[in-house]
Amino acid sequence: MATPTKTAAVNWKSLLAIFFNPGEALKEKAVGLAWPVAIVIPGISFALFFLQTGLDLYRTGRMNVWLVVLLAFMGLLYGTVGIMGLAALVWLLTFAGKREVGIGRAISSFAAGYAATLIYSLLGIIFSAILGWRTSVAFGVTGVLWAFRPNMATIKHMTGGKKIYSLFLTTLCGVILLLGWSLLGKINV
Amino acid sequence: MVLIPGFTKAELKENAKYWISYLSFLSFGLVVPFTKSKLSALTFIVSIVLALLLAFLTPFLSTLLLTLLNRPLKEVDALFAYTAVADGMLFMLPFAIMALTARFALGWGAVMPFASTGLTTAMATAGAELAGKGGKGFLNMMIPSLLALVFSTVWILLCGLLP
Repeated sequence: MATPTKTAAVNWKSLLAIFFNPGEALKEKAVGLAWPVAIVIPGISFALFFLQTGLDLYRTGRMNVWLVVLLAFMGLLYGTVGIMGLAALVWLLTFAGKREVGIGRAISSFAAGYAATLIYSLLGIIFSAILGWRTSVAFGVTGVLWAFRPNMATIKHMTGGKKIYSLFLTTLCGVILLLGWSLLGKINV
Repeated sequence: MVLIPGFTKAELKENAKYWISYLSFLSFGLVVPFTKSKLSALTFIVSIVLALLLAFLTPFLSTLLLTLLNRPLKEVDALFAYTAVADGMLFMLPFAIMALTARFALGWGAVMPFASTGLTTAMATAGAELAGKGGKGFLNMMIPSLLALVFSTVWILLCGLLP
């Protein structure tokens, strides 16, 4: 008779965990995916995030519809090619290949880390489309920053547990991501 | 080997981690006044004091809470919570550097999302470390995150009220 109670407790905790941290739950499902499939997660996340930025600018009359679509497409490129590049850079700098971590595994782990960003981007686009809110900072920026926690764990694993080196690489990735993001913004606005 | 009289090498290592976290909080305290439309000395001083207050209060309360949550671990290592929080707090650093880059290199105005996410990441990392050492997984994941949520919300609200 003890089993159903225990199962119920586990389910209750799992539901609460998903409620508080849906990205982590999604990441657990995505981490085993092949890299060409996993890369879709940051791709869609950044496309939706850049779309929200475009919609915010469209509402203030600073961007037309075609530029909004172009911005979303650039977000898709940034989320796929950019994140693949970032994962490859970390893979090279950590010599993860020597620890039998393939580049495909590095890309899929990095990409899965953006599951939280995807949740934030989806929520942001819903609030933007239905309520007309300006969501690019509140949902977009916060969502991208949330990806750093799982990515820190991935980087730490790839460095073989070297804490200080993984901190340095995480900071480097963050700064590269910010600079790339800012550069794209300057091209389009 | 004693590097500084009165401190062992291990103690100095743990203390250095805390100094890095204080530096991260201080960075946020320095950046916030530059996001305001007008920079004043009062805003600057209040922001620094607020950041330093949180820098001391956050690890202190987290260590206290995590010690209470994981009493059985005290038999294995008396300073288990202190070490886990010190390790976790290190993870504020990338967010602090990103906030500095965002404000001073890119000219962005919103830096509090960096502080909020950094604080949550740091505390959740401390909780995850204890869960990995045999503590209660669910509570160690949830309670530090909730505490970080409260602290970051208070921080954001107080920064909004700065003169």
